[in-house]
Amino acid sequence: MDIKDQIAIVTGGASGLGADTVRALATKGAKVAVLDLNEMLAQAIADEVGGIAVKVDVSDTDSVAAAMAAVKDQLGVARIVINAAGIGIGRKITNRKGPHPLDSFLKVVNVNLTGTFDVCRLASTEMASLEPLNEDGERGVFVNVASIFGYDGPVGNTAYAASKAGVIGMTLPMARDLAPYGIRVMTICPGVFDTPLAKAETGEEGFNRIIATVPFPKRGGKPAEFAKLACHIVENTMLNGECIRLDAGLRMGLMV
Amino acid sequence: MNVNGISVVITGGASGLGAGAAKLMIEKGAKVAIFDRNLALAQDIAAELGCMAVQCDVVDEKSVIAALQAAGEVNGTPRILINCAGIDITGRTATRGGGPQPLEALTKQIAVNLTGTFNICRLGADAIRQLDPLDGEEQGVIVNVASTAGLDGPFGQTAYAATKAAVIGMTLPMARDLSSYGIRVVTIAPGIYNTPLAASVLRGQPNDFAGGVPFPKRAGKPEEFAALALHVCENPMINGEVIRADGALRAT
Repeated sequence: MDIKDQIAIVTGGASGLGADTVRALATKGAKVAVLDLNEMLAQAIADEVGGIAVKVDVSDTDSVAAAMAAVKDQLGVARIVINAAGIGIGRKITNRKGPHPLDSFLKVVNVNLTGTFDVCRLASTEMASLEPLNEDGERGVFVNVASIFGYDGPVGNTAYAASKAGVIGMTLPMARDLAPYGIRVMTICPGVFDTPLAKAETGEEGFNRIIATVPFPKRGGKPAEFAKLACHIVENTMLNGECIRLDAGLRMGLMV
Repeated sequence: MNVNGISVVITGGASGLGAGAAKLMIEKGAKVAIFDRNLALAQDIAAELGCMAVQCDVVDEKSVIAALQAAGEVNGTPRILINCAGIDITGRTATRGGGPQPLEALTKQIAVNLTGTFNICRLGADAIRQLDPLDGEEQGVIVNVASTAGLDGPFGQTAYAATKAAVIGMTLPMARDLSSYGIRVVTIAPGIYNTPLAASVLRGQPNDFAGGVPFPKRAGKPEEFAALALHVCENPMINGEVIRADGALRAT
């Protein structure tokens, strides 16, 4: 679909991969709603691109429903939804302190997996009621953000990897569910990107250690490169039900 | 890599996906050489698009060396290779009436689809290896074309699927081999597209066989393949990956 004049939602849009995707979509003429837990940061990005900011906690279904209603009120029903909201924790399944706490596992799953599913189910319901855009009958597109950790997760990433593998796993069946409505579902699996989340999780030293194992280009990905792929997916109708690794050829080893 | 002004080789460029890629690359300012076994067809398309045509049999080492040389002399050493050359010989592994599938069905397809792809990759990459990086980073990009048949092959496609799965399989190790030279390797696995190859295999219009595609419920357009190939060239973070472009089709 042509991005120009479309309404777009970007969750986790206040920073990192999400923020640059907001900018890229706005540059191509979309009206963007920046959904984030951090309202102040979201407002700053929204002001920068002439969009709107809506506070959301994707792990709270009432909050997601309220955010969707706010977007519909202020902009209309979104045809483009980018789910970039996500959190990570580093913890082995058991260590000297004892077993991995169940609540921190559930928190990661609630945000990354259930949160993504919740946004998709609510947004796709609205989307399905829109008129198709073109002769293909296209109505909308979801771009979910997983991680290469969902395929090859290193030590200390059981919860994060499980949540991201869940996002990968629901890509094809969700695409099949929504195909009759002309709605596509795609997933991007970023490798190591230069984002606040990545650095917070690995630390500066861990970040540099991973970069040393990246085939090419041997650097952190730029959020603008992620945004460029997200826009290409929106624009290329033949991309559907697929997970694309965006990782410079990186396969994660044992350790971070 | 910004393709403007870049020397690009497209094998199998005289028709189908290759011709689509050639058209878009030229629109974006690339200097394209169309390589094809069928020189007459390649010349027709090249004349239409305004680029050069070179006769090339990807299986033949001498032919590929000569073709790369010819492209290099006119356009500069190719930095981008888009390898679309391929054949598809259908036939079931064994049937009651026909007995075993001829072994040549496999060996012929291995020659063109797998060995041919490997052949131009090794020769092309050896030349790219000796170039200077662009923007202090990237030296070249190789885009190979496999097929969703290499991941979920339908009946009658055992041999074809084997060769395309092999192209998929060499993506990551080749990307790793060439990473120290700043060369990326990415494979696109198309589903059903409107191409002469698909029409001949399906014995009909590819669109009429797209009923099983979830969405969009039609054959892909070569322009859509081309747009993805261009994006792969332009986005340096895509490396060692196989991308399905199939409207979510899984062959049943």
